[in-house]
Amino acid sequence: MWVLNNVASSVGDPNQRLTSWFLRALISRASKVCPTAMNSLNGNGVVRRRLMSVTELAGYVDLIPWHRFGYCASNSAIFKAVQGFQKVHVLDFSITHCMQWPTLIDALAKRPEGPPSLRITVPSFRPQVPPLLNVSCEEVGLRLGYFSKFREVPFEFNVIGNSSSETITSTSEDSYKFQFELLLSQLNPCSLNLQDDEALVVNFQNWLRYLPDERIGGDATSRKDAYNINSLRDSFLNMISGLNPRIVVVVDEDSDLNATSLTSRMATCFNYLWIPFDALETFMPKDSCQRLEYESDIGHKIENIIGFEGLQRIERLDSGATVSQRIRNAGFFSIPFCEETVKEVKGLLDEHASGWGMKREEDMLVLTWKGHNSVFATAWVANNNNNIGLDLED
Amino acid sequence: MATDLDNSSTGSGEASVSSSGNQMQTAPPKSTPKKKRNLPGMPDPDAEVIALSPKTLLATNRFICEICNKGFQRDQNLQLHRRGHNLPWKLRQRSSKEVKKRVYVCPEASCVHHDPSRALGDLTGIKKHFCRKHGEKKWKCDKCSKKYAVQSDWKAHSKICGTREYKCDCGTLFSRRDSFITHRAFCDALAEESAKNQNNQTPQSQAPAQNQTAGKLNSEPEPKSKPKVQTKNSSSSPPPPQPQQPPPPPQQPPQSMEAAPPSSTSVRSGPSQSTGVLSSSTLPIQTPAELPENPPRILEETPAEPGLNGSSSSITSSSSNGSTSSSVFASLFASSTASANLQPPQPPAFTDLIRAMGRPDHPADLAPSSSIEPISLGLSNNHGSSIFGTAGQERRQYAPPPQPAMSATALLQKAAQMGAAATNASLLRGLGIMSSTSPSAQQENLQWPQRQVEPDSGSVAAGLGLGLPCDGGSGLKELMMGTPSIFGPKQTTLDFLGLGMAAGGSPSGGLSALITSIGGGLDVAAAAASFGGGEFSGKDIGRSS
Repeated sequence: MWVLNNVASSVGDPNQRLTSWFLRALISRASKVCPTAMNSLNGNGVVRRRLMSVTELAGYVDLIPWHRFGYCASNSAIFKAVQGFQKVHVLDFSITHCMQWPTLIDALAKRPEGPPSLRITVPSFRPQVPPLLNVSCEEVGLRLGYFSKFREVPFEFNVIGNSSSETITSTSEDSYKFQFELLLSQLNPCSLNLQDDEALVVNFQNWLRYLPDERIGGDATSRKDAYNINSLRDSFLNMISGLNPRIVVVVDEDSDLNATSLTSRMATCFNYLWIPFDALETFMPKDSCQRLEYESDIGHKIENIIGFEGLQRIERLDSGATVSQRIRNAGFFSIPFCEETVKEVKGLLDEHASGWGMKREEDMLVLTWKGHNSVFATAWVANNNNNIGLDLED
Repeated sequence: MATDLDNSSTGSGEASVSSSGNQMQTAPPKSTPKKKRNLPGMPDPDAEVIALSPKTLLATNRFICEICNKGFQRDQNLQLHRRGHNLPWKLRQRSSKEVKKRVYVCPEASCVHHDPSRALGDLTGIKKHFCRKHGEKKWKCDKCSKKYAVQSDWKAHSKICGTREYKCDCGTLFSRRDSFITHRAFCDALAEESAKNQNNQTPQSQAPAQNQTAGKLNSEPEPKSKPKVQTKNSSSSPPPPQPQQPPPPPQQPPQSMEAAPPSSTSVRSGPSQSTGVLSSSTLPIQTPAELPENPPRILEETPAEPGLNGSSSSITSSSSNGSTSSSVFASLFASSTASANLQPPQPPAFTDLIRAMGRPDHPADLAPSSSIEPISLGLSNNHGSSIFGTAGQERRQYAPPPQPAMSATALLQKAAQMGAAATNASLLRGLGIMSSTSPSAQQENLQWPQRQVEPDSGSVAAGLGLGLPCDGGSGLKELMMGTPSIFGPKQTTLDFLGLGMAAGGSPSGGLSALITSIGGGLDVAAAAASFGGGEFSGKDIGRSS
């Protein structure tokens, strides 16, 4: 670690910066095992929790197409899926506080047949990971409401779950899992106030990885049962399937960071997170404040992946292929993205630095940086879905 | 870092292959540990690692004919050329090597891509990478100052730069629509505007949220979506929604109050502390958008017309919005004239307006200087703001009389035409409201009747008087004094303009008095007052229209 310390620098080139974050994570981990005097990196919230305003967050998600890629692909797929419906209900599970929806609202507002009425439901609980906001989610919903009114789209915003749970940090391991279970219990048509004539859209954006994945009892293989209670993650997916959504879009980071061995996790994590660091390097100056903030958020993630274990390690990322398989097991089948969507995404990427690319893997769209996979986007419908004619190919 | 390749292509240490005799360095045999393919960050371990020298990478003509030494950018071009040399069959064939997947490393030792395990898979890619990271930026965008080392990057950028720009109400520019939309949705400007609209249900036709946003959105398709001040009734796009909304307002009044007395300078962010600037008083009238930009403009006395339009539009918009300062101002007018088509619920707006004026840190919220102009016509000092600030608060309490039917724009224009007096009354009234806090003003009010104010003026004065008590500025007093004289019994209001006109020959004189009083700068006000007073007395007699 001493060597690393010499190499690492938070203002050096991308590798150095990345290394510095890893070092912090390692130190934090070590300090838990044998408490040292390094109290600056305490056990729980190591990195300073930085709160952003909504406008700052709006700029943040657009620094690099990391998030915007997922938004674009998902919104395009959603738009296609809800064509012909007069009511749309979006169940939004994401960590970026509804930054995805203005463009969808905008697209819906411009529909030739007129906009549908839109309802967005978010859970009140959200893993305490960056990006963090300095306002409540109700405030975010309020702003979305203003915008919708401005674009003349009938809009409604709901928060489900215990609203006081927002203030609970994930440090308490039990409460973390409990929050998800609570959320799970609310995923029924009654609590969600589902209606028959509305198109239900479920959006998982950087979310599934936070669902606890421990399998209690039984074998490790997940079976294609309706209510497999072996893992919270699977239960969640099953529950969603039971709600009969019109479309489920899943966007997450394409990297397998769920391994049990620390060293393999470290290596994979380093190689993977090098991508955003490198991307930021290409177009932001070394001392740009935004860039440092973005990197520190990634550092927070690293810290959790490397520095924590057990229930405290909430970042349990699966690669795109693994996630896809799991979703399939929960009773969904994937639908491809249509050409229009692909074109839109390509156009989006063209407006960014030229290192960003896109490729298709089966029905997944994958964002690439210099050829390396970064973020994947997929779309699904439930097997029991009798939405005939759901055809994203136009 | 030394890694071990598990296959022999690179492990054997064979020299890297290049398609021509160009000098190159061979990467020392390195190996990568056994890894799955396609692991992010790790190129295909079976690939052949090729290291090219910087010269090679930067060279534009990598492929050189061995016969005549002519250089080509592409291998195929070289082959075509070689055919022309009539080589014997043997030499014609390229050395047959099976095509292996190749990855390239960067020759720069400090670079992450120098390591074979981090090689890039594409020759063009490595060339571009090398240029970008380690090369000199030879290409420069002519519109902005961005520099690029790779020509294709530069081209891609030039396509985008300045072609489509979206501008949010808050002033931020975007080159991409989706970032613009996302920002817009969450922008404070929109939030404030919407909240305000929700609270001020205006009878006007425009959709509440539309005023400012509509202006913006409509202009979206245009290359520059900067909201333009329009004189139409409903949505003149007052720029950044005036910050004064119910939530903020409570805090603002205190500020504006404070701002007014101490600074007695333009309400706009305080910087324009120029004392003599009437424009400050005009602030309330201005459309918020432009205010922040031109404090100096306030100082100028611009012709009434443009300013009128600006202010009228702002007023109109504000009135239609029922929000922000402009509406406040509008209410000013409205109250005074029947023709003004301002909406009743002005007090809050007015207050807001005042507030906007008084708040230096919300430049966006302040009315544009354009609207100031009309005011500045007559008013030469910027003390008005203070008065307005204070008055604003008072304004709340004051319920303006029913609005006239004319639009603010029309009113202003009319006032301009009329050139005088009448309109001032409403202005005064507004002023009076604002200055309700000034005790001195109160006295003035009493004086008003003496001042030959016609019955209307009297009412105006009364209105003003309401405001006056609150204001501590003597200026207000002056204003009162000045205005009644200037304002005739006429109810038309586009007062400020009228005021300016009314003042006639020396709009600045009268107005300055007015302004100074408004500004609440005691000294200035006093001076102005006296000055104005004198002027007024002379002038107002003539005005009787």
